[in-house]
Amino acid sequence: MNLLSVQDLQTHFIFRDIDHQLREAKALNKVNLTLNSGQVLGIVGETGAGKSLTAQSICGLLRPPAKIVGGSVTFQGRELLTLSEDEINTIRGAEIAMVVQNPRSSLDPLTQIGAQLVRLHQTHTGGPLAGSRKKALDMMQAVGIPDPEGRFTAWPHELSGGMAQRVLIAMALINEPKLLIADEPTTGLDVTVQAQILDLLNELVARFDMGCMIITHDLGIVAHYCDQVAVMFAGEIVEQGPTREVFLTPAHPYTQQLLAATPERLQLGVKSQLGGQPPDLFNLPTGCLSQDRCTLATEKCGAPPPLIEISKGHLARCHFVKPAEKGRSKSNE
Amino acid sequence: MNFSHFIFRRTLMVIPLLVGVVFLTFMLVRVGGLDPVGLLAGPTATAEEFKMIREELGLDQPLWKQFVIYAQNVIRGDLGESWLSNRPVLDDIMARSLISLELLFWGIGIGTLIGVPMGLRAAFRPNGRFDQTTRILSLLGFSIPTYWLGLVMLFVFFYLLRWAPPGMGRISLMISPPDFITGSYLIDSLLTADWRAAHSALAHLILPVICLAIVSAAPIIKQTRAIALEVIASDSVRYARACGLQTRTVRSIVFKNSATPIITFVGTEITGLVGTMSLIEYVFAWGGLGQYGLNAIVRGDFTAVQGYVLTLALFSVLVFLVVDIIIAIIEPRVDLS
Repeated sequence: MNLLSVQDLQTHFIFRDIDHQLREAKALNKVNLTLNSGQVLGIVGETGAGKSLTAQSICGLLRPPAKIVGGSVTFQGRELLTLSEDEINTIRGAEIAMVVQNPRSSLDPLTQIGAQLVRLHQTHTGGPLAGSRKKALDMMQAVGIPDPEGRFTAWPHELSGGMAQRVLIAMALINEPKLLIADEPTTGLDVTVQAQILDLLNELVARFDMGCMIITHDLGIVAHYCDQVAVMFAGEIVEQGPTREVFLTPAHPYTQQLLAATPERLQLGVKSQLGGQPPDLFNLPTGCLSQDRCTLATEKCGAPPPLIEISKGHLARCHFVKPAEKGRSKSNE
Repeated sequence: MNFSHFIFRRTLMVIPLLVGVVFLTFMLVRVGGLDPVGLLAGPTATAEEFKMIREELGLDQPLWKQFVIYAQNVIRGDLGESWLSNRPVLDDIMARSLISLELLFWGIGIGTLIGVPMGLRAAFRPNGRFDQTTRILSLLGFSIPTYWLGLVMLFVFFYLLRWAPPGMGRISLMISPPDFITGSYLIDSLLTADWRAAHSALAHLILPVICLAIVSAAPIIKQTRAIALEVIASDSVRYARACGLQTRTVRSIVFKNSATPIITFVGTEITGLVGTMSLIEYVFAWGGLGQYGLNAIVRGDFTAVQGYVLTLALFSVLVFLVVDIIIAIIEPRVDLS
């Protein structure tokens, strides 16, 4: 059984515009994902592809006008989308924990960080206060906060961005979750701090045997830290597979373009083919969503592309993708 | 760095404000077109008498000298004499301030106690039924003219229903007011166990207090709702939800983080309401500072007007001083140095 399995998840923004016309932006279209314990999955894609929205949909954090209109999310075999707010509250922060971007503004500015850790531990795990306090100090130690006793009574505004992100990681891990979702955990941090934070995350994921989902637009981070990668485009996962395989033999034309557009490859003289805009979410094309940007597109792309398993665990949603012959994918590794 | 030091320095900052206030008050009345000499001398005065009064009032001196004299007098606590009451303006104001404060205290107190929870509740379910009802109510509260509200309430609750006493002061004419302790008839009569007076004082308080509460609650509801909505959309509240904190806990985080801007807004509301209150006092013949000031303006009693404006400005300065101190207590991000 997969730790997390997302099937055909669809999230739309449904609202009335200024003329009272009902409008529907199809932000997530058939998101399919699987994640196992001990795995790190990177979700990449350009801005607006629906990376963060996927995370929020999984955790039930959507606010109107965003609404899940179809699909299913099963976590440890349990369907999450039909849970009530109170039920999902017992899972969020306990079994599924999030690390968000903007750590400094995400902490409660009027509560000392030790008290925030204790409050979170009390909410989900309970037990005597002294136990929560001990656990909080242990976690602060584990995420590399110097002088945990002294920082226990620090206010969020007194922390640097990197230190605040360590606090968020401590908060995420204090209830020993099974799944950690890190939504752009290093955006807005210095490059050196970025590496520290990601190394720390990686180490802790291995130590606590969690599943981890890292949302990023940085392909370097994915190459470095993720076992699996999922590429998103216009609210769809167009390709998922082992990072090495996807990066070396990208199957979907969009993935190929995305990889070719990294600054490193551009420096080598490879010309970027990634032009144009993502499709209009109010008015999606029928069939393949990337047909307007794709150099391969033909008439058959007007039909919905099939999800094809190229090799074990490597899937792509495209008409032109063919399953690899036996043994070929091995020789690529 | 420490707290008493902060309060001390914040209080010192009041001084330049007060100097500015004294200057503005002085200039405001000078350019306001009031001619005290004409008013004092009356229509039959001769040119000789005019000149005499001018000299007696010091109005023949250059403007800067007049200001220096005025400022010196203010520092000594001498605000001049009202020619309507023939008493020192300071005495008049002292006596009437307490009367107005009682009304203001209950009015803004009840307005806040109603407005803040309603605004929060509306923000927790935006566009829900409660939110829509509140929106209409606060729109009404905004648009109804204060004095008209007072008159309608008197018409309905005194004239038609006979539930309330007439709008003629703070206590029934048949009852002797209690001894002066705090200046509030209600509290003083309760303290002296004079139940008949307490009952009458309370009855007289209710209508004007409701008026003031409605007028103050309307903007407080709207502002609280807007502030809370912004806090709900903030990173920290979204993160609190992502942590699976209970709805109750998330709401208390929203409330705490809304407190600072709400308190600031209520502070500005209080200073604004002091002006609005003149009309309510007038309708209910409350006899407080607002009514005194309004009277002085209408009758051209310029020393009294000066005193009134000065008192309101001083009051505003004090309100903001208190607001700043409260915020410094609840808000760890305030830099006390």
